[in-house]
Amino acid sequence: MESRWGPLAQYDWSVMAPEFTILIVATLISVIDLLMPNHSNRRPLAWLGIVGSLLAGWFVLQNTGHGVVEILNGSYRVDAFGNVFKLIFLAGTIFTLLMSINYLNRGGVKEEEKVVDHGEFYYLTLTALLGSMIMSSSADAITLFVGLELLSISSYILVGTRKKHLLSNESAFKYVVSGSIASATVLYGISFLYGLTGTTNLFEMADRLGQAYMAGNALLIYIAFFLTFVGLSFKISSVPYHMWAPDVYQGAPTPITAFLSVVSKAAGFALIIRFFITAFRSVVDYNAANGPHSVLISELLLVVGILAAISMIVGNTLALRQTNIKRMMAYSSIAQAGYILVPFATLTSLIFEQTVFYLIAYLLMNMGAFAIIMIVTGDRETEDIRSFAGLYHRAPFLAIAMTFFLLSLAGIPISAGFFGKFYIFMSSLVMGNYWLAGIMIATSVVSYYYYFGIIRQMYMRPGETEAPLRVPAGIAVIVLIAFIGTVGVGIVPDSVLNFIHANFPLMDLIEAAGQ
Amino acid sequence: MTVPLASYLLVALILFCIGLYGALTKRNAVIVLLSMELMLNAVNINLVAFAKFGAFANLTGQIFSLFSITLAAAEVAVGLAILISLYRNRRTVNVDEMDLLKR
Repeated sequence: MESRWGPLAQYDWSVMAPEFTILIVATLISVIDLLMPNHSNRRPLAWLGIVGSLLAGWFVLQNTGHGVVEILNGSYRVDAFGNVFKLIFLAGTIFTLLMSINYLNRGGVKEEEKVVDHGEFYYLTLTALLGSMIMSSSADAITLFVGLELLSISSYILVGTRKKHLLSNESAFKYVVSGSIASATVLYGISFLYGLTGTTNLFEMADRLGQAYMAGNALLIYIAFFLTFVGLSFKISSVPYHMWAPDVYQGAPTPITAFLSVVSKAAGFALIIRFFITAFRSVVDYNAANGPHSVLISELLLVVGILAAISMIVGNTLALRQTNIKRMMAYSSIAQAGYILVPFATLTSLIFEQTVFYLIAYLLMNMGAFAIIMIVTGDRETEDIRSFAGLYHRAPFLAIAMTFFLLSLAGIPISAGFFGKFYIFMSSLVMGNYWLAGIMIATSVVSYYYYFGIIRQMYMRPGETEAPLRVPAGIAVIVLIAFIGTVGVGIVPDSVLNFIHANFPLMDLIEAAGQ
Repeated sequence: MTVPLASYLLVALILFCIGLYGALTKRNAVIVLLSMELMLNAVNINLVAFAKFGAFANLTGQIFSLFSITLAAAEVAVGLAILISLYRNRRTVNVDEMDLLKR
């Protein structure tokens, strides 16, 4: 049937349902926010956002298991890899919105610490989510970049939403400046890839990059890889582009810190893995002395491995001397980024399962930890680690849950974090990267010191007050879900891994559509 | 006489380096934002030069540069807005005075 929309009408638009849902909900919230009276409570808007995210999650589940679908000439692509990442983003956003409701409506806050526009806060979280969803399911450099920018620009504003708060302003400005430099670097790298291949489609790029390498453009390919990787390492806050993280994490509202450390980071990993594995997989050196070998595996990823190791060292050692809890978590997240880079750097056949498993564990433990940090620091009105003193006597359940999240982050056995780390560790051993595995173990041991520092405060130091800590229902729900998740994943890690493996054939990342 | 591709790339490289240098060293925050624009414009020159003289010359590069111009504008608009709110509270636009977050 001939329609005046031409080819546009022939695409299967239903596969974009998750993105459309988020887009519509974000638009709705912004319109309702405009029409609402100025002083009415914006809480229902957050619930609308949560319902929208759940609905989008349901659509993502509907999309799974149907193989690869591509529309719009590869600029939108549904595959298991994208779907599993979308579920992680959606879960992270729901946690963030639940935390935000409590954060924005808590009482007894100084005037300059208040977020002025609550509605804005909620719909910008959703547009950031939309950006990360686009980043995870696209096979075209232009769309990937637009998604990256949508996520970045939304999070710049979110970091600065406490308009009268000096620290918030300053961290937002630092975030904008370093973010823009990073995206210019990414773009500069991509522009060379475009020049070598004449296309922005990752699959065509893959074919022609191999030819370009053989034609003697190896140097340009290296330059393009490193420019792009350095720029993208901003999103996952790993070395060499990690220095923004402590300042921004400290100055941002706590729910946004959690969002940046989980959703934004996972989106960065989705983009990095998809972009580099798809576009660089056919760059093969046929003239090497010891037979043909993939340049990505044998040369480029070695550097990624070294950067991952430096991330672990820098993150874990600098975290030792932090007294501000959010700053400490920032350094901890730099170290975690180093760990999650290991499967990509070693590139075993289980890279996707290992990365996704670790990200799920990281989502649960980090969200739980930040929810508790938000309650405790909000109550004591200081972000010093000493605000945790005596928490066990004030709220035993919170203290026990926090202990468990910290143990999981540190990688103590029988927790989700331990198995995440264990699988990653095995991947580097299997590939013979003993130095990387060694650095991982050594830095993990270093990290025990600062994680146990918080635990020591909670159980062994007397607090300034013994008054029971009131925990709002929303936070209790987050902590409970995260706690059950962390323990559950820690008890049956194999089932989780098998579930991912059976339901999400993640290797379809590099398959063409329609198979 | 046509200008070879390498000259365009060289101009873009110089522009990118000037932008990076400015963004990292300048005291005035507005200049820092301007320097970031320089870096993004270097990318645009690259893309357009490749679209015209590259090994696979086609229109995609020009379309990409339209996207990057738009996004650069959005980014700097947000950057300026944040700078204004910072200026209202702090009465300064000097980057080296933004040091409250050191510890």
